Amino acid sequence: MSQLNDQELINELVKRFDETKKALSEVQKLNEELKEVNKKLEESESMKSHFISNITNEIINPFASILALSKNILSVEKENWKKVITMVSHIYTEAFHLDFQFRNIFAAAKLEAGEVVPEILNVDVSSLVESIIESFSHLAKKKFIGIELKNDLKEEKSKIVLFKTDPEKLRLIISNLLSNAINFSFEKSRIIIKIWKSENFLLISVQDFGTGISVENQKIIFDRFKRLSSGIDSINRGHGLGLSVNKAMIDLLGGKIDIKTELNKGSVFTVCIPEYDGEISGIAFDDNEFFFNSDEVKMSENDKEEVF
Amino acid sequence: MVLYESFFLYPSALYATQKPNHITTILGSCVAVCLWDPLYKYGGMCHYMLPLWNGEGLASPKYGNIAIEKLIEKMISFGSKKENIQAKIFGGGDIFQRRLNHFNIGEKNIWIAQSYLKEQNVPIISSSTGGESGRKIIFNTYNGEVRQRYVRKQTEL
Repeated sequence: MSQLNDQELINELVKRFDETKKALSEVQKLNEELKEVNKKLEESESMKSHFISNITNEIINPFASILALSKNILSVEKENWKKVITMVSHIYTEAFHLDFQFRNIFAAAKLEAGEVVPEILNVDVSSLVESIIESFSHLAKKKFIGIELKNDLKEEKSKIVLFKTDPEKLRLIISNLLSNAINFSFEKSRIIIKIWKSENFLLISVQDFGTGISVENQKIIFDRFKRLSSGIDSINRGHGLGLSVNKAMIDLLGGKIDIKTELNKGSVFTVCIPEYDGEISGIAFDDNEFFFNSDEVKMSENDKEEVF
Repeated sequence: MVLYESFFLYPSALYATQKPNHITTILGSCVAVCLWDPLYKYGGMCHYMLPLWNGEGLASPKYGNIAIEKLIEKMISFGSKKENIQAKIFGGGDIFQRRLNHFNIGEKNIWIAQSYLKEQNVPIISSSTGGESGRKIIFNTYNGEVRQRYVRKQTEL
C-alpha cells in the first residue's frame, strides 16, 4: 500500500466530506419532496369526494334542462314555433357541454386504466382546428369573444399540409385548451389561436386575455380534479380534468406543453408535438425513440436472446 | 398448436389478456412487470416510467405503484388467485450512464417493483434489471416465457 502524504490525505478527506454533504442535501431535498407529496395525496383524496358531487351537478343539471326544454317544445303552440329555435339552441349548448364533459371523463378513465394507444393517421391539422373553432363558436358568441386563427400551415403552399399524428387526441387537446380559454376570458375579449410547424414539430398556441394564472396555481393546474375557482359562486363549469387529460395525452404523443401567463392579463398555452416518423431516432426523452419505431430498433449482432 | 396474437405495449400502458399473446415492449430506465398465472396460462404486462405517483396529473400506469396494483387487479378480475400469480421484472437500466444522482430513476423503478410485489406476496421468479443497456422483451402469455435482447440506441443521447 502506498503511503499518502499529509496534503493528499487532507484532499481525500475534503473530497469525502463534500460527497457526504452532497448526499445529505439530496436526502433533505427528497424529504421535502416527500412532504409535498403527502400533502398532495391528502388533497387528492378529499378532491375525489368533491368530484362526485361536482360531477353530479355537471351531469344532472344539463340533463334536467335538456329534458325540460324538449318537453316544452312538445307543447309549443303552432303560432309560437319561432320560440322553438331558441329552445333548440339551448338544448344544443347543453348537449354539447355534456358531450365534451363525457369525452374528458372517458379519456381520463381510459388513461388511468392504461388502455390508450396512439392511432396515427395523416391529419389535415388546419381543417381539424377550424372545425374545433366552429364547434366552440356558439360558446364564444355568448361571451362576445372573437376567435382569431393565425394559420402558418396554409401560407406555406396552397396545398393541404398533412401531419402524422393521432387526430382524436389532438382534437381533445385543442378542445380543452380552447374551452379553458373561453371560460377564463373576460367578456368582449378575444382569443388567438396560432398553428405553425418548425422542423418536425407541430406547434399550436391558444392565447386568451382573461384572468391568467398565479404562480402557485401554475404548479397545480395539471393535477386532476383541480379547479382554480371551485366555489359555489364559480361562473366556470367543468370538472377539473381537462388539463390533466391534456398532459397525459401530450405525453403519449411525445410532446410538450408550455404556459406563459400573467394575472389579469391572460395566458398562452403552447403545445408542441413531434411528427410521427419511422425514421426518427433519439428524441430527447427516455423511451421515445422506441416509442416511434418499435419494430426497427437495431439489435447489435453479439446480443443473444435470453429466455427468462 | 397455439395461435398467438401479438401486442405492442407502449410506455405508461398496461395490457393483460386471457388469450395466448406475445406482448412486446422496449425498456430503457422504465420497468416492465410481467404477471403470469401458471394455472390458467395467461398473463399481462405493465410498463411504467416513474416509480411513484406524486399526485401530479392523472393516476395513470405511468407510475409503478399504480401500474402494478392495476395489473394485479386485472389478473384477479380474470379469475386468478393472487397466490398463484408469478412475476418477472425487467428493465430499469441506467441508460444515461450518468451517476450524478445517488438514486437514479432506473434503480427506483426496480425498487418499487420488488418492494410492492413483496408486500403483495407475489413471488418474483426471475428478473433481468439494471445494467446500462436498454432491453427488448417479448412475453409469451401462454407459457410464461420472456425472451429478452439487449438493445443499443443508434444515437447516443
